[in-house]
Amino acid sequence: MSGQVKGLKVGPSSNGDSRGSWEEKEDQDNVGLATKPKPVTGRRTRKVEGGVFFPKPENAVTVAVSSRVLFRTEREQKVFEQDGVEEYLRFQIEHENEPFTPGPAFPFVKALEAVNCRLRELYPQSEELFDIVLVTYNHAHVGIRLINTINHHNLFIERFCMTGGSSPIGYLKAWQTNLYLSADADKVREALSEGIAAATMFTSEKVTEVSESQLRVAFDGDAVLFSDESERIFKAHGLDKFFEHERDNEDTLLDHGPLKGFLEALGKLQKKFYAKGQRLDCPIRTYLVTARSAASSGIRALKTLRAWGLEIDEALFLAGAPKGPMLEKIRPHIYFDDQMFHVEGAAEMGTVAAHVPYGIAQKHNAKQNSSVRK
Amino acid sequence: MVSTIQNTDVKQKEADRAVVVAVTSRAVFDCGADDGDEVCEVGVAFPLLQALQRVNERLLEENPSESLLFDVVLITSDSQQQQQSSRIISSTRHHGLEISSFCFSSEEDFTESLLKNNVHLFLTTDRDEAAQASQKGVFSALLNGKVASSEQLRVVFCGDAVIRTDAEPPSASQDAAQSFWAQLGEMRRRFGMLDSPLSLVLLTSRGGRESCGTALQTLRSRGVNMDEAYSLAGAPRSPILSLLRPHFLLINHLQD
Repeated sequence: MSGQVKGLKVGPSSNGDSRGSWEEKEDQDNVGLATKPKPVTGRRTRKVEGGVFFPKPENAVTVAVSSRVLFRTEREQKVFEQDGVEEYLRFQIEHENEPFTPGPAFPFVKALEAVNCRLRELYPQSEELFDIVLVTYNHAHVGIRLINTINHHNLFIERFCMTGGSSPIGYLKAWQTNLYLSADADKVREALSEGIAAATMFTSEKVTEVSESQLRVAFDGDAVLFSDESERIFKAHGLDKFFEHERDNEDTLLDHGPLKGFLEALGKLQKKFYAKGQRLDCPIRTYLVTARSAASSGIRALKTLRAWGLEIDEALFLAGAPKGPMLEKIRPHIYFDDQMFHVEGAAEMGTVAAHVPYGIAQKHNAKQNSSVRK
Repeated sequence: MVSTIQNTDVKQKEADRAVVVAVTSRAVFDCGADDGDEVCEVGVAFPLLQALQRVNERLLEENPSESLLFDVVLITSDSQQQQQSSRIISSTRHHGLEISSFCFSSEEDFTESLLKNNVHLFLTTDRDEAAQASQKGVFSALLNGKVASSEQLRVVFCGDAVIRTDAEPPSASQDAAQSFWAQLGEMRRRFGMLDSPLSLVLLTSRGGRESCGTALQTLRSRGVNMDEAYSLAGAPRSPILSLLRPHFLLINHLQD
């Protein structure tokens, strides 16, 4: 057996002084682990496995998804609700070799991977990629089934957290998550309150086909990209007051909303394609789908985006018209809206819509919100 | 010279069934300067001992004649602490710690005392001590220097270690590691999914989902079912570790 492990300091044997912090010096743990010695020269920037490497969380655009939105797990959910956790886990283990079928976030994740392929072609050494992390509060007993499913569908997901019941929020922060998608509205709200872009997803029977080569992300404006300040005016004082307020404040920037950061992250990746002359062929396309109208209230939205340095590929001002048909034409992989009314409307027409439970609209029941404006 | 004193306040465990965990007294008590007969302050390992005790209590609740229990032994190897042996013993009594015996040895002989006491796991905050002990075939791990919760015993296995064990012919310390894991696995099975006094956590740092999946399956085949699993695939470990709050971390490198 080898002698003293290289690089460790010889501590004096008095009270606690020779305590070696086992959280630091991660590379020192490598010494002796592999059969060939690895250099202990500081953090490696790249971990290569099979020719593809795993980006550092701070460099990547990290998208965390829960198992319930990545896959369809309704049958298992029912077992859990009716028969309890022990039976649920037994069921999962029994069906371990049966892969789950794709859930609402699945096409979105596939599209992220398609973008990664294109990015790797152009920038083979870059860590500026999408990194998809599975964050679930399932027990590790379900782990093997989840891994089998990921294998079956050929997804490139190498990182995950199965918290066995504890809150995943801390882990989202540790992964420097740029977007969190879950079926659990409480978890989503918690993430939002911690400053992490998040949205609740729902399983729908009707799902229209989306592009496999171009990622399309659509955003509502108020209370998603922008704050809910204007919506508050509308709710409190009505449409006319809203228009007046927007006109008076046309040159004042709107405050930012919870999904602004994600749009920004998408924009950064888009610029990487533009830099290589691929603007027309860019595999990322973004859309603003807002009930504001182009001639009036929409101007403030555009000015704000421009001031933020954010480009959005298509801005669609519906002036209060229903969003469903427009979304059906766009075919986004995901559409973010703060109002359940619109989320449900989109889903009825086959668009995968995610709810951002943020702002004043949450105080109103979705069904009550049947006004013309939004 | 090695001497062992049994703690008569505590019911002794069944030698062939108990899981003997040795902890350095330096980690359990902070005896400071020689204050005569003053009781020592508690050290960083105190929450760990409380957690081990809770596991024992719950095991006995499930089955009053349970013999698979943690058997905690206190090891004192530095001369400074040796002089305070009576304080250590009285502090143990004072804090109501379930320590079955006290081992006093010189610094050179401490691994001998570990082997003599059939220690299944040796815990210390000193990396060198841990490395030394594992070289002699004693399964060792580092104690979490930051105070961890005393409510649930949380053990983190570094999955990268699990896979390697299978690929190579097992050494004495790897056998010790495997049997310790098996014991923990058996203990864990005494409890249900919720409200367990111990939680087993798998962490794979390198490799992707396959490494983690293989580790989960390997452990399961040895009767060890994990509660939580994390695959880092190269991401930094410290942020995740500080969330996991383990009492100790089982890494293989100390055994080489």
